[in-house]
Amino acid sequence: MEPVIVAQDIRRSFRSSKKEEGKNSTWKYLLKPEWVEHHALKGVSFSIEPGAFVGLIGANGAGKTTLLKIFSGLIPPSSGTARVLDQEPFKRSLDFRKQISLVMGQKAQLWWDLPAVDAFDLLRAIYEIPEKTYRDRLGMLAELLDVQKLLNTQIRRLSLGERMKMELIGALLHWPKVVFLDEPTIGLDVLAAQKLREFLREFNRREKATIILTSHNMDDITRLCSRVLILRSGEMLYDGSPQKLTREGEKRLRVRLQEQPTLEQLAATTQIPIERITFPKPEDADAGDEGEGTLPAAYLTVNSQTLMPTLQAILAKYTPIDLGIEEQGLENVIKRLFQEEASGITKRP
Amino acid sequence: MSTLRLGWRWAALRNGFLDATAYRVEFLIEVLGQAVVPVITQLVLWYAVFKLGGATEMAGLSYSDLILYTLTSILFSQIRGGDHDFELAEMIRTGTLSNYLLRPAGAVEFVYIRGSAPKLFLAGVCLVVGMIVGAIFGGIHPERMPAAMLMAFIGNIIHYQISAAIASIAFYWEEAYSVLMVKNLFVSLLSGELIHLGIFPEKWKWVWESFPFYLYVFGPVQYALGKWTHVEFFRALALSLVWLAVGWALVRISWGIGTRRYLSLGG
Amino acid sequence: MKNYPSVAAATGPGSRIALYWNVFKVNVKNNFVREAVYRTNFITTVIVDLVWIAVQFSLFTVIYANVESLGGWTKHQVFFFLGFFFASDALFSTFFARNFWQFSDLVNKGELDILLTKPVHPLFLSLTRFISMTAWFNVLLGIGVMIRYAEPAGFEGGWRWLTLIPWLAFGTLAALMLRFAFSVWIFWTDRSFAIARLYFAFFTLADKPDPIFPIVVRAFLMTALPFAFIGSVPARALLQGLELREYALITGVMVFFFFFNRHFWRKGMARYQSASS
Repeated sequence: MEPVIVAQDIRRSFRSSKKEEGKNSTWKYLLKPEWVEHHALKGVSFSIEPGAFVGLIGANGAGKTTLLKIFSGLIPPSSGTARVLDQEPFKRSLDFRKQISLVMGQKAQLWWDLPAVDAFDLLRAIYEIPEKTYRDRLGMLAELLDVQKLLNTQIRRLSLGERMKMELIGALLHWPKVVFLDEPTIGLDVLAAQKLREFLREFNRREKATIILTSHNMDDITRLCSRVLILRSGEMLYDGSPQKLTREGEKRLRVRLQEQPTLEQLAATTQIPIERITFPKPEDADAGDEGEGTLPAAYLTVNSQTLMPTLQAILAKYTPIDLGIEEQGLENVIKRLFQEEASGITKRP
Repeated sequence: MSTLRLGWRWAALRNGFLDATAYRVEFLIEVLGQAVVPVITQLVLWYAVFKLGGATEMAGLSYSDLILYTLTSILFSQIRGGDHDFELAEMIRTGTLSNYLLRPAGAVEFVYIRGSAPKLFLAGVCLVVGMIVGAIFGGIHPERMPAAMLMAFIGNIIHYQISAAIASIAFYWEEAYSVLMVKNLFVSLLSGELIHLGIFPEKWKWVWESFPFYLYVFGPVQYALGKWTHVEFFRALALSLVWLAVGWALVRISWGIGTRRYLSLGG
Repeated sequence: MKNYPSVAAATGPGSRIALYWNVFKVNVKNNFVREAVYRTNFITTVIVDLVWIAVQFSLFTVIYANVESLGGWTKHQVFFFLGFFFASDALFSTFFARNFWQFSDLVNKGELDILLTKPVHPLFLSLTRFISMTAWFNVLLGIGVMIRYAEPAGFEGGWRWLTLIPWLAFGTLAALMLRFAFSVWIFWTDRSFAIARLYFAFFTLADKPDPIFPIVVRAFLMTALPFAFIGSVPARALLQGLELREYALITGVMVFFFFFNRHFWRKGMARYQSASS
């Protein structure tokens, strides 16, 4: 199949003027500005098949939003080529604009002082959606997201989650072939985020629209995306399935020990590098291990070779209250990936 | 405790000043817009009336009287504090007021102090300019300038208090800014910013006298130019102190009720 | 499961003009919805303008108590002019005023990002968003004032009332060009309101007939800062007619402002696109 999105060595740098505080700064700023060059993207290449659901991960400033802006035609790449739907996005041809959609969790596209249904009506006119089709789509989307009763409420009076649902409906009414979602679940509570995810998965499955999503919420990525792209400081760190990232024989060994050894003691006992052991705080801990009393759990990253020796070493020295082997959470893998990269340890594929 | 309370006021003043002057060009443009252009408009109008229309005097005022009044009025209208009132209404409407309710500083006072910082600086400059110009060219009495400027300053606070009370309409109604616009029209007329109040027929005099707005441009100009006696000035000053108290009460009441409503609606 | 239309059944036919007209119609409808929410708006909109016109009338009444004519304009001619200016300004308020209040949101709040992905020009969307139904009332009020003073002002009336329509359109267009020229600076400074406010400072030169000004000021108002186009020139055209070279001048200036605005809008967009990350 022809890929629907292609990135070839995309670089994006931008200059911002350095404006200092102090005397005459504005004059200087106007007459002789000093420019600082930033590199938001440093050569990123990949391609995406139609109908894919791709997650884009990275810390703040990694270049995720820049990439989405390039694909949705808001800004041109400094070098390299971006192609979406076989077009150059930055030309923003009419045909292109009618087939894409961009949702930014931080910016509303619906004007808040209107009831949602009136804001949608404007989008209907903008995208020239025939009346009948419009009604069918709105009915379907509102049903999937369970907001039929809220359509006549002024958007500003809706809760954050409801508002985001409306934003999504607004973004999808024209049945875009490519949807860019920048942090759609930001600020939402667990339940609302889950609802939204279910909807996105359903929409992707039914309508075969290609969706690219950025998120800080790893749940979003693991539950939705068949593929993840990880960016770090403008470079592609990983491109593949989320399963592959976490699997490769790696497991997390969970132990709660009567003696409560420190990180250093555990590392010395098990011969496992200290970076591969964590004591997550109760609130970060993955679901399923609460209610085990107040003893903190230690998580050790092990693989099939090191599992048995590690266990033996621990059992020889400590009294376990609880033991368990878990799949690696994506969140941890990514955290480690960034740390490793930062400290110069092996780069993963 | 009292130093602490003074602390935030000082910080707000400093912050407002730095904020305004960080954008020097824009600051100058604002000064230009607020002072120079309206004055040109007035001068041009008087030119039309006297030179093109052939009038020799208006309501007992000569061409030079009016020119002198207009030019002097720039010195006192500079202290006028921008769009504080609109800012207050916006804060209520958009909900950013919540950030202020958490702080020890009163929102109304905070907005005023921060916004008026650059104006106070300008007022200082105007005071010095007025005294120098008066000493060299006459017209303005240099020794009267400080007292006149004080009155302009008090008048400006009263104006702000009344504006803040009007801005509290935003607690109930989203389009409160339109009331503020009406108020601004009235104020520009009743303060003497738009034209010399003496041009109004004698029978209309009670209209502008029953509002405090003339205390912030017309009054100071009249005193600085020696048209008011010291007695008249001090009577007006005493009156302005009464208005100050009235304004304070207005703000307390309107914002007290409004804030309670705001909080009960969940901010 | 219901049979939902597929992605392929994309968009319907229709020319660009029809599209823009439909978007405009929806905006008109939505503004009715909006004003139904803020009902009291009507009263204040009317009051603001009534106060304004009262201030202007009293100002000129006071002046004309002392002089017979100003630059050849009698009191009633000035009132006729004020009526026109009022109507022209109300027309601008109807379609554009509130949109320009929010203009800086395009950059400050990043609204442009979303608008640019829509298949309609972003300026069209942002400048047709708010339409004030109640300002219409003030247009009629202004025309009423003109009718009241038409005869004493020496306006011949009859078929000439028809020329009011193009002149009102011209006045509104001139205000649009000027306001835009003062607003386009959003791309360069986040204090663009300082510049936008200059518009209102100069606007006080617009609400007086241009022949009363000294020649230098008048030249400015007819060329570099054509505030006289909003009310004064059309009112003069209605009362006395314009000379051919004046028609040439106003056409030239308007064309210039169109290209000026287009140039800076494009420059600003380029800057916006190169500075954002």
